[in-house]
Amino acid sequence: MKETGNDPPYPGVLDTLSFAQPILRVDNLHTQFHTDDGIARAVDGVSFDLYPGKTLGLVGESGCGKSVTSLSIMRLLSHPGRITNGAIYFQDRNLLSLSEYDMRNVRGNDIAMIFQEPMTSLNPVYTCGFQIDEAVMRHQSLDANSAREKTIDMLRLVGIPAPEQRANEYPHQLSGGMRQRVMIAMALSCNPDVLIADEPTTALDVTIQAQILELLGELQQRLNMAVLMITHDLGVIAEVADHVAIMYAGQIIESGPVDTIFHNPKHPYTQGLLASVPRLDETRERLSVIKGTVPNATQFPKGCRFASRCSIAQDQCHHQPALVEMEPSHHVACWLA
Amino acid sequence: MPQALLKVQNLKKHYPISQGLWGQTTGQVKAVDGVSFDIYPGETLGLVGESGCGKTTTGRAILRLIEPTSGDVTFKNMHVTTLKQKKLRELRRHMQIIFQDPYSSLNPRLTVGGILSEPLKIHKLTTKSARGERITDLLETVGLSPDAARRYPHEFSGGQRQRIGIARALAVEPELIIADEPVSALDVSIQAQIVNLLQDLQAQLGLTFLFIAHDLSVVRHISQRVAVMYLGRIVEIASREELYNNPQHPYTQALLSSVPVPDPRIKRNRTILKGDVPNPSNVPSGCPFHPRCPEATTDCKQVEPELLEMGNQHRVACILRTQQAA
Repeated sequence: MKETGNDPPYPGVLDTLSFAQPILRVDNLHTQFHTDDGIARAVDGVSFDLYPGKTLGLVGESGCGKSVTSLSIMRLLSHPGRITNGAIYFQDRNLLSLSEYDMRNVRGNDIAMIFQEPMTSLNPVYTCGFQIDEAVMRHQSLDANSAREKTIDMLRLVGIPAPEQRANEYPHQLSGGMRQRVMIAMALSCNPDVLIADEPTTALDVTIQAQILELLGELQQRLNMAVLMITHDLGVIAEVADHVAIMYAGQIIESGPVDTIFHNPKHPYTQGLLASVPRLDETRERLSVIKGTVPNATQFPKGCRFASRCSIAQDQCHHQPALVEMEPSHHVACWLA
Repeated sequence: MPQALLKVQNLKKHYPISQGLWGQTTGQVKAVDGVSFDIYPGETLGLVGESGCGKTTTGRAILRLIEPTSGDVTFKNMHVTTLKQKKLRELRRHMQIIFQDPYSSLNPRLTVGGILSEPLKIHKLTTKSARGERITDLLETVGLSPDAARRYPHEFSGGQRQRIGIARALAVEPELIIADEPVSALDVSIQAQIVNLLQDLQAQLGLTFLFIAHDLSVVRHISQRVAVMYLGRIVEIASREELYNNPQHPYTQALLSSVPVPDPRIKRNRTILKGDVPNPSNVPSGCPFHPRCPEATTDCKQVEPELLEMGNQHRVACILRTQQAA
């Protein structure tokens, strides 16, 4: 076992393709919220890399900091959220040291994002087409006519029937699945290198979820995008991710290739999470349970943050375990793993 | 077969669409359109379907929280649909509901003790002096500490609030509980706690559940029988094993194949349905599923399929399947 220090948490993801360089590197990110109840350390030392054409699944329960991580990468945090430490490298540039003007050129153009709830993330008073036009005109300096052509191409690409008409409709006129397609079309309109998908299918029905996941997979292949897929749904992760990072209370507690995480999880939280989901393909007598609830971000316990809910916790768990490489590209933060 | 605890026959709930200055009725949203099923004592019937298929409306219409347009609901030997208000209130002692959203279904201005004592007062179940003890019992049954009674709902997490909602339903010692998406709003680790609690309560108290959910994996875990709804109708109903291992209706098959399984080694043949669920104000002719059905024939556009027995208590509403079987 070796301490990881500043190494990326899973350098071996493309061992066979040693030339692959990460397109986005998040290094020791700390994001805090100064609230009346104290400092909420929502993201507390998170590091991971994204590779072109690959999907990293970021999994965790509500409040674990997965969405704050994505907003930090985009620098979209609003007051009182603040990035207090760490670096986010896109290619060779540290996004945290860019001016707001330069950052605007990165958003949408290099790194795009899709959100969970397409109804609240599209502007209700503009047509869907206008909102995509806007992004294309801003980033690709096209005039209005060619922007609209591009918009219609994008809508067609994401499988919206009659895109010429749909472009003139308002978000409320579309169904949830169609709205999510519009968001994807908007996100991909400038050919970003990185796509951050924050619970993109959580608000959708399963049959529509299947459509959207298939669409995302196809487009990722075609555009060779790196995707950060943020979700709490382990089924979705198993399906789309190449690599998985499990977050708990603001930290990554285990990361590894998708097969390792699902078939050889080492952290008791990962194990507990996998055992607690009912499955479609087997009948379980009883679900195993992780007792207790997620700790509040203003009062994280000292040492291992999972210790109070952990069934095998011991004395040493009062000290913070480091994220250690157990086997190639499989990292675990647990004294007992 | 034992006698059914609850019989639902041809239940319908149509909402009129009013338009224009005088509010002329220009159409009907057929939220629930002829749903029939039985629930037997001590079992859990799972009711699944996508958003807008009418599963929640069905649950509420059974309790008459929404007045059904037509149809008959029989609980034991009582005709729920024709009861007068006073009798209905008495009946609700035996039929309770647990709601999806643990945040909006508890009165924020009452303490938990207050919330739990309301049903006890209304149904005159305990004397005033015994009430405190009963509330303590209820809280312990659902795994909360007795001092919760003095606190307010906002002091609890989502999972704990759902426990309070369950305790409130249990206060009147009901026989049937309609659980409307009781775990959808919860995180996976908390979801498992609540699912186990419901199963324990069923074993201890002999409860019967109608478990309404969109999550097919949870429904598989908790139900003995499962009904699948699409556009206000039941398209398939069978025992859990039958439905999950041998689904017949093309919609059920597609639905099951769409659910991602948490195992990267399983690669499944997925039937991806085209299009969206149609608007229930404009239900397609014939089989309501035919525009999205990969197997639809011209007959499917004309013939309205009936829910027919295929053997083994497995009933399907699809002319392609039932013709084969006949």
